[in-house]
Amino acid sequence: MTNDDAAMPEDDLVDGHTMEELGAYLDRDRTPRDPSIEGSPACRLALSGMQRLRELSWDAMQHRAEDDPDRDSAWISGLLDTIRNEVRSGRDVPVDHPDPRLRLTMTEASVRGLVRRAGDTMGGVVMGRCTLHGDVTEPGTPIRVEVTASIAYGLAADVTADRLRARIAEVLGRHTEIVIDRIDVVFDDVHVP
Amino acid sequence: MNDDVSLVDAEDATLVVRAADGDVRAFEVLARRHGPLLRVFAAKMLRSNDESDDVVQESFLIGWRQLSDLETPARFRPWMMQIVTRKALDRIRSRRHHDDVDTVDPPAHAVHSPERIVEARLQLDAVWQALDTLPDDQRRCWLLREASGYSYQEIAEALELPVSTVRGLLARARRFLLQEMEAWR
Repeated sequence: MTNDDAAMPEDDLVDGHTMEELGAYLDRDRTPRDPSIEGSPACRLALSGMQRLRELSWDAMQHRAEDDPDRDSAWISGLLDTIRNEVRSGRDVPVDHPDPRLRLTMTEASVRGLVRRAGDTMGGVVMGRCTLHGDVTEPGTPIRVEVTASIAYGLAADVTADRLRARIAEVLGRHTEIVIDRIDVVFDDVHVP
Repeated sequence: MNDDVSLVDAEDATLVVRAADGDVRAFEVLARRHGPLLRVFAAKMLRSNDESDDVVQESFLIGWRQLSDLETPARFRPWMMQIVTRKALDRIRSRRHHDDVDTVDPPAHAVHSPERIVEARLQLDAVWQALDTLPDDQRRCWLLREASGYSYQEIAEALELPVSTVRGLLARARRFLLQEMEAWR
């Protein structure tokens, strides 16, 4: 089906430039500007053809990607089954229990899950990272909670951060014994609601 | 589950840091967002739909395990593209070393419904099908260059070919594809 065994042609030469060079130039977004390329109509034509072909093949891939949702559901659900078993649980966080003979713990991962959920369900923010600084395994140790989040466009950052802090404090107080030192909120993105 | 809604619109970077914290739902959104395109790319490289499902699944599993290595969370897609490319290349090399036939089940063909065909779509289909008619080496070189962003040197190493051969294969593939594209202009 192929004539690959035939003598290999050399790269095409356009006005003294190889297509390899032109392709690399395109990859660099045509900067720094090369006058010997930009000044040649043949090179510019070759560049625009290459660019168009690149865009077309991405578009074509995108189109095909939308054509077979069942196929994707199948491998994605297999993937999720595997990774659910691989969630790194992190440290054990003690949980209060009325019976002192019982020592209950929660995983750090589930505590982070609680914090994320507290933010996600508040409205106006999408939670990002959640880090618990300090020895969470030792009851009574003051813990600094640090979260990143995206804030909805138009909301006041200070008021929203205060609301978020209150919700996180409330949920941690309800479900864990963690003594909160402080809660740092960093808005690292803005989204349109 | 109204918090799912917000995740569907969340930026990759947000989803990546959450997934690195162990949020499976965030990773699911990333897989649904980028997986289909990467699967199609793998299918084109391998000329096999079944193998491409495996490759993309394995790749996302690797991605999940190595998420904390991703320094710029917003660059999730290019990072996954590199993983999928490496996995697809592994398959190609092991096939070659096992002396297997290089073509397994061909990717499904596009369904043409005449009433839906507009010029742009026609050109897309033309390029897509032209890619399928390219010999394997030419098609792979071209995908590695244009989709994976490999340099000529990297392609040569990945496919175990001399750089001069890669240069020639790419020149041929490009000429052919440009010609097909122009035909539908």
